[in-house]
Amino acid sequence: MVFSSMTFLYYFLPVVLLVYLVAPRAMKNSVLLLASLFFYGWGEPKYLVLMVTTIIIGYVSGLLIEKYRDKVQGRIILILALFCCLGFLAVFKYADFFVESFNQATGLSVKLLNLALPVGISFYTFQLISYIVDVYRGKVKAQKNLLNLATYVVMFPQLIAGPIVRYEQVEQELTARTHSIPMIREGIVRFIIGLGKKVLIANQLGELADTYYKVQENSVTFAWVCAVAAALQIYFDFAGYSDMAIGLGRMLGFKFPENFDYPYISRSITEFWRRWHMTLGAWFRDYVYIPMGGSRVKSGRLVINLLVVWMLTGLWHGASWNFILWGLFFGVLLIIEKLWMLRYIENAKGINHIYVLFATIISFVIFSGETLMDAGLMLTNMFGLGGIELITEETLYYTASYGFTLFVAILGATPLVKNLGTRAMKVAEKYKLDTVLESVVLALILILSTAHIVDGSFNPFLYFRF
Amino acid sequence: MDINERKTKGILTVIIIGIIFYVYSILCFLKPAEEMSESERRPLAQRPDISQEAIINGEYMKDFEEYAVDQAPGRQLLRGTKVFYQTVVMRKLDNDGMYLSNGYISKLDYPLNDKSIEYATNKFGYIYDNYLANTDASVYMSIIPDKNYYNEKILYPSYDYNELVVKMCEGMEYASYIDIMDKLTMEDYYQTDTHLRQERIVEASTHLGEEMGASLDEDFEEVQVTEDFRGVYYRQFGMPMSGEEMYYLTNSVIENCTVYDHENNRTITMYNLQALDSADPYEMYLHGSLSLVTIENPRATTDKELIIFRDSFGSSFAPILATGYAKVTLVDIRYLPANMLGNFVDFDNQDVLFLYSASVLNNSETLK
Repeated sequence: MVFSSMTFLYYFLPVVLLVYLVAPRAMKNSVLLLASLFFYGWGEPKYLVLMVTTIIIGYVSGLLIEKYRDKVQGRIILILALFCCLGFLAVFKYADFFVESFNQATGLSVKLLNLALPVGISFYTFQLISYIVDVYRGKVKAQKNLLNLATYVVMFPQLIAGPIVRYEQVEQELTARTHSIPMIREGIVRFIIGLGKKVLIANQLGELADTYYKVQENSVTFAWVCAVAAALQIYFDFAGYSDMAIGLGRMLGFKFPENFDYPYISRSITEFWRRWHMTLGAWFRDYVYIPMGGSRVKSGRLVINLLVVWMLTGLWHGASWNFILWGLFFGVLLIIEKLWMLRYIENAKGINHIYVLFATIISFVIFSGETLMDAGLMLTNMFGLGGIELITEETLYYTASYGFTLFVAILGATPLVKNLGTRAMKVAEKYKLDTVLESVVLALILILSTAHIVDGSFNPFLYFRF
Repeated sequence: MDINERKTKGILTVIIIGIIFYVYSILCFLKPAEEMSESERRPLAQRPDISQEAIINGEYMKDFEEYAVDQAPGRQLLRGTKVFYQTVVMRKLDNDGMYLSNGYISKLDYPLNDKSIEYATNKFGYIYDNYLANTDASVYMSIIPDKNYYNEKILYPSYDYNELVVKMCEGMEYASYIDIMDKLTMEDYYQTDTHLRQERIVEASTHLGEEMGASLDEDFEEVQVTEDFRGVYYRQFGMPMSGEEMYYLTNSVIENCTVYDHENNRTITMYNLQALDSADPYEMYLHGSLSLVTIENPRATTDKELIIFRDSFGSSFAPILATGYAKVTLVDIRYLPANMLGNFVDFDNQDVLFLYSASVLNNSETLK
């Protein structure tokens, strides 16, 4: 079930919110757990067993690790638990990719497993790993109540597309959280803005980006337009989803971590990754990069650490060479910045923004391509090496048709729109019209988003495949 | 702002959005399911039946999603809202390929589909080779342009009509091409439909007749049947537009014609006013899409006969053309396969006109 669907918005959510808010405090986690299992089972009924198994492994291993802390048994249990969690991920997400790559390299024809990817497996596996490792490190206490741990893992707002919420971030809220009207209001505002980002902007940009593959006569200009559209689409899609997740969490009494902070205004790729998918970056930093030695190692080792982390970051996004290359692309840029260039880049006003935008647009061409060949062809066309015209009548039409959407998206990817909104609210506040203004804007976004959901068949969530 | 003010502000926003949200949600739960979507001409998804198997394999959930979208309360209004937002606010030039230009709803049909043109000419070639080549029939071909052709906004991509004509002529060397494109204008089309207004095609029809050596009537009475015609484009486009006047042409010759529907073995009227209440009021002309219809004209001053291979556009041309012939046979090979024609039509020395719209030629997979 996706957030931007009629089933979620007008069937599931109203019922769940009502039951949850009227339920006694002691029952709230049970309601949330049942609703979350229903939410997950709605899309992936056959993978509920896998999820429940993963939760039980996390629960039992957490208790045992705490019991045998600082003993060999504790370490063995940690390794076994990580092996199981990562094993499930490897089998269900990566097995066919590895087999295919093996077949291509050797010419053999080992049979594929053809397993469907369980939705959200990358997110909930990483959350559970953070819990197990943090229990091992003594950062958090093992959760004695299976229901509470299960609620943390399967909580529907962040279950299938993040943000990656660490156990320590919601440990207190799982047992003692408050609910208030201002929190619900905050949640509504965040959720509806996220819905608008997804439905009104990301989906439209997705249509434009897809047009690249549909036009009869492509052009160099249009290849760039579509590449920009794809980069913005990925941002609005994922940032919108994160907003919706954070908003839902707020309505339910949780404070989830932020995931995006206007990444496209960054002055370096290092800064970009401090602003893009922040919870994933922090996860890799704390559970992979730092345990490998982090930055406090010799240059040669640092290069290896960074390449490993960024290859894994790429691989996390999907079982394909495109994602690995995408991760390594950033890895190489980050190595260059970290070892030599960061200070110069951050001081090169103006040029640094162009550099970041150029690098991220190229990266998302690699990211978006169905295959490396697709990405390569698009890059070839972008740089005028594909033997296509600079512009054609058809591509000019689509550029003009989506021009304003693109303009709005570019503005929306900067803090400008938010700042304007804040100023407008301050002016409205003087005349005691701020509530009316807020409600009207939210109602408009909700109605327009609903209209687009009803009319549009183009409604995929990009991050579902991760 | 003090704490009490903040709380009040929160309450008002929660109440306003909550009311919109819950009222619409309750409507979603309670609204009776509709059977058909007139705008899309398709049955709407119904609430799926629950079964263990359907739940386990995910079919129930998939079907429920379709149901929830198809049966959304105020669906048509919401669709119109989306079109308005996209085309007016966001300045998008089309919505799902449809656009409004100078008050006329048009549909993008681009580019020229070479394979489709080849398929159509092969199909017509089959008819010529099997039924016409060894007769004294005079074969003609004419193309009815889409209203895109007359669109003055050059930004919309369109194909080269000259290229279409050349390709059709090359593929139908046995037929004489009759050009009617300069006999039509944008104003001759309905604003909300793909078709031409019958009262505006007398000149084009007369030209067809002249080129085929037939003398057609030019005086007709225009009978208004509605002021509120909304064509198929109106419902597909989704945005509110006012209705249009719709007329049919008649005179004493047309009134005395006998029209026979061979598909259903019945005599029918030239114009079916009951169709005005249907999903496609344009089917008023010659009862819409029938595979084989003959019009006999007892007042004809000639014994010439005409066979028209046609699509839906032919329905409004045929009554005018019938005034110059003793008999007109209308064949729609979208519904009557070409290889079965010999069972139903005697080909001899008639005039034979292939009269097709550019959009059907460019999307000819429906020809059988």
